[in-house]
Amino acid sequence: MTPVLSLQAIGKTFEPGVPVLQDVTLGIEPGALVCLLGPSGCGKTTLLRLVAGFEEPDVGEIHLGAELVSRRGHVVAPEKRQIGMVFQDYALFPHMTVAQNIVFGLFRRPAAHRHRRLADLLQLVGLEDMAERYPHELSGGQQQRVALARALAPGPQLLLLDEPFSNLDVNLRRQLRQEMQEVLRQTDMTTILVTHDQEEALSLADTLAILDQGRLVQVDTPEAIVQRPSTRFVAAFLALGHFLPGEIRDRCIVTEMGSVRLDSGMPATPDDCRDVDLLIPPECLTLCGNGHGTRALVTHITFHGTRKLYTVRLPSGAHLQGLCAHDVPLQTGTQVNVRYEPTVLITFPSEG
Amino acid sequence: MHGVAAAQASLPSHTGLWRPKALSLVALVVALLIVMPLAYVVGNAVLVSGDVWVQLWRARVPELLFNTLRLAAGVAALTLAAGVGLAWLVVRYDFPGRGVWIWLLAAPLGIPPYIMAYVYTELFAYWGPLRPLVQGVLGPDAQLPALYDSFPGAVLILSFATYPYVYLLSRAAFLRTNVAFEEAARLSGAGRWRTWLRVVLPMQRPAVAAGLFLVCLYVMADFGAVSILRYSTFTRAVYVQMTGRYDLMGAAALSLMLVVLSLAFFAAERHFRRRSRFFQTTAGYRPGSPVALTRWHAALACCACAAVFGLAFGVPVAYLGVEAAAHVSQGALDGAFWGYARNSFLGAAAAATVAVACAVPLAYVALRRPSRGHSLLLHAAYAGYVLPGPIVALGLIFCTAHLMSPVYGTVAVVVLAYVVRFFPQCLQAGEAALHQITPSLEEAGRSAGVPLWRVLWRVTLPLMRPGLITGWVLVFVNAMKELPATLLLRPVGFDTLAVRIWIETSEEFYAQAAPAALLLILVTLPLLAFALSYGSTQRSTA
Repeated sequence: MTPVLSLQAIGKTFEPGVPVLQDVTLGIEPGALVCLLGPSGCGKTTLLRLVAGFEEPDVGEIHLGAELVSRRGHVVAPEKRQIGMVFQDYALFPHMTVAQNIVFGLFRRPAAHRHRRLADLLQLVGLEDMAERYPHELSGGQQQRVALARALAPGPQLLLLDEPFSNLDVNLRRQLRQEMQEVLRQTDMTTILVTHDQEEALSLADTLAILDQGRLVQVDTPEAIVQRPSTRFVAAFLALGHFLPGEIRDRCIVTEMGSVRLDSGMPATPDDCRDVDLLIPPECLTLCGNGHGTRALVTHITFHGTRKLYTVRLPSGAHLQGLCAHDVPLQTGTQVNVRYEPTVLITFPSEG
Repeated sequence: MHGVAAAQASLPSHTGLWRPKALSLVALVVALLIVMPLAYVVGNAVLVSGDVWVQLWRARVPELLFNTLRLAAGVAALTLAAGVGLAWLVVRYDFPGRGVWIWLLAAPLGIPPYIMAYVYTELFAYWGPLRPLVQGVLGPDAQLPALYDSFPGAVLILSFATYPYVYLLSRAAFLRTNVAFEEAARLSGAGRWRTWLRVVLPMQRPAVAAGLFLVCLYVMADFGAVSILRYSTFTRAVYVQMTGRYDLMGAAALSLMLVVLSLAFFAAERHFRRRSRFFQTTAGYRPGSPVALTRWHAALACCACAAVFGLAFGVPVAYLGVEAAAHVSQGALDGAFWGYARNSFLGAAAAATVAVACAVPLAYVALRRPSRGHSLLLHAAYAGYVLPGPIVALGLIFCTAHLMSPVYGTVAVVVLAYVVRFFPQCLQAGEAALHQITPSLEEAGRSAGVPLWRVLWRVTLPLMRPGLITGWVLVFVNAMKELPATLLLRPVGFDTLAVRIWIETSEEFYAQAAPAALLLILVTLPLLAFALSYGSTQRSTA
C-alpha cells in the first residue's frame, strides 16, 4: 500500500545553528493514527505545520500519496492539500455560527451537498442542536468537536490534530479522547496527533513516533515501545521506570542490588560499553523480608490508583520506584529491603 | 464520504506561494505612494545650493527653531499638567457629574486649532465682545492683552486644542493600573503623595510620553492656528515660502529641517518608550475605586473641570453658535455654502476609503509575513506622522509635476494629500485590529481547502471590521478639518469648509466662517466620540 503521507529526510532550521528538525523520515499508512510525541520544543508542531503546508522544509521532501507537495522552493498551498487540521486553540471563526464554521471549506460544492454534509457531521460529533450557536456560546469540549467537524467536512485524505486536548480539564480529556477515537474509527481517517502527554499518546495511537530535539528516535506500536524503548530518553520520557547503574562483567550486569545474567537476545548495548544503566520498572521492584535484597530508605509515598507507589534511596544514592498493595504498612523515613525481579532486561549506555 | 473523489479529481495542483507575493507587491506600491512626497521634498532640498542654505540659516532658521521648540515645550508642559491632572481626578475621585465630565473633557478634540484661534482672536479683537466687558469692570483704560504674535496666546490656544490627547491616554493608563501596586506602596509606609509620585506616576510614563509626543507633533505640524495668531513656526514658514515668495526650493530646505526635527522627536519617543516598558500583572487585576470627595473638594473639582471645558469648548462653541445664528438669519446658508460642505464631505470620504483599502494589505504583510522588507514598508508608511500639511502639499506639487501631470490640479491630488497625511492613524487601527486575530484562524480556513483570498474576505476582513471602521472615521474626521494641503493643492472652485473658514478669517469677512466652523464641529464631534467608544468597546469584548 502506498503511504498516505511520506516524509523523507526532512530538516528545518529557523535560527541558524539551532535545527528544529533533523533528518526526519516517516511513512503513514492509510487509516493509521500516528502520535507525534515529545517534550515541548522538540519540533513536533513544526513537523505538523510542514505537513500542513504552512512552513517550507529546508531539506527533504514531503509526498502526499504519490504527489510531491513540499520541497525547498516548491510548496503546494495548504488549501490544495486536502489536509484537515484541528488547531490547539481550535481557531473557530468567532463571527460565524457552528454551521457556517463547519461548511466553510465546502464553498465550491452545491448547496444540497453542503446541507447533507452538515447534517451528517453534526450527527457524527453529536451537536445537532447547536448548529445556530456561536463559538463563544459553546463549552470547550463542544468547540473541539466543531473544530473536528470543520476539519473533516471537505473530506480530507489526512487529519492533523495539534494538541487538541491541552485546553481541557483532566476529566473532560479522557471522555473526549474516547469520543474522538470513536469518530476517527467511524470515518476511517488517517490521522497525525501531536501531543506531549504520554498517557494520551499511549491510549490513542496505533503508532507512536517519538521526537527528541528534532530527531525521530523511535517509531513503533505503543506496546513495542513500552517493552523495548530504544533510548534512555524514550524510557525516561514515557516514565517507564528509574535507572540503576551497573557494569557488564562476564555476561552479567553487576549492580549494587546484585548481578543479573545477560541472556541471548538481550537488547543490544554496544560491545565496548562496560558501564550501563539498567531500567527498573516499578512493577519489577518488590519488597522483601529482612536479610534479603538491598537495604534502602523510603523517601516518598504516593497513591497510584489502588496501589502505593513508593520511592527508595539505595546506599549509593540511586533512586528507584516500586509498587505495592495499598495495605502494606510503609512509612517515609524507614528502612526497607527491596529486590529486583526482572522480566525483560533493558539497558542503556551509562551517561556518566 | 460523498463527493470527495470527484472533488479530488477536479482540484488542480499548484505551487501556491505566489499569492502572498502579490500582496507584498500591493504593499510595496502603497508604501511608495505614501513615501513619494517625502522623497521628493528631501530630494529637492538636497539639490538646493549652499548659498540658499546659508542665507536661510542666517536669516530665518534660528528664530523659527526657537519659536517652534518654545511653542512645543510650552504646550507640552501645559497639556501635561492639565491632561494628567484631570485624568487622575476623574478616574480616582467621585464628585457630582463625574460620569459626564469624563466625556465633556475630551470634547475639545472636536475643535480644530484654527477654529479655536479664530474664535479667540475675534473675542479679544478691538471690536470684539470682551473689551466692553473688561472695561466695564476695570475701568475705561483697561486693555486686553494682544493675542497676535504672542507666545502665551499661542501656547494657550494650542493647549486647549490638544490637551485631550494627554487626558485620554493618561485616563486609559490610570484605568489599567492595578490598584494593588498602590496598596503595596501604602502598606510599605509610603504616604499618599509619595505613593503618587514614586509608584503611580512612573507607571504612567509610557502613556503620558505617547500623549506628549502626539501633542508636540501636532504643534509642530499646526498651520492654521499659528497663522491666524501670526506666530511664526517652521510649518507656517514653509507655507509662506511657497505662497508669499514663490520659492519652492527654499520651502523644500525648510521642510527638510522640520522633518529632521520631527524625526528626532519620533526617535526620542521610541527610545523613551523602549526604556520604560512596564508589564502590569494581569492576574488579580483590580482597578482602583474612586474616592468620594467631600463638599468643598467636590465643588473645587467641578470648578476645575468646568473651567477647562468652558474655555476649551464652551466659549468657542457658544460664540460660534451666536455668530452663526446671526449670519444664518441673514441668509449665509446659500447654495455655495452647501457646495463647500459637499466638497469637504466627498473629499474626506474618498480619502478615508482609499486609506483603509491601502492599510489592509500593508498591515497584513507586515504582521503575517514578518520580514525585514515588510517591516521597512510598514515603517515607511508611517511617514505621514512627520509630514505637516504644507510639506505634503509641496511634495505632491513636486511629484505631480514630474510623474503624474494629468492629475495635477485635480481633486485627486487633494485626496492623495489627505491619504498621505492621515494614513498612520488608519494603519495603526488596522494593525491593532489584525493583531487581535490569531493567525490560526486563517490557517484553519486554508487547511479546510479555501484559498487565501477567500479566507481573507470571509474571515480576516470581517473580524478586522471594528478597527477598520475606527480607521476610516479617524481619516475622515481629520481630512474634513485639513487646511494647509487643501489650500495649496485644491483646484479652482474646490473650496471646503476649512478653506472657507480660512479665507473669511484672513479677509476679515466673517459671514460664513461661523456657520462653517459650527457645521465642521457638529459633524466631526459625534464621529470622534463614536471612534473612541467603538474602538474601546470592541476591544474589551474581543
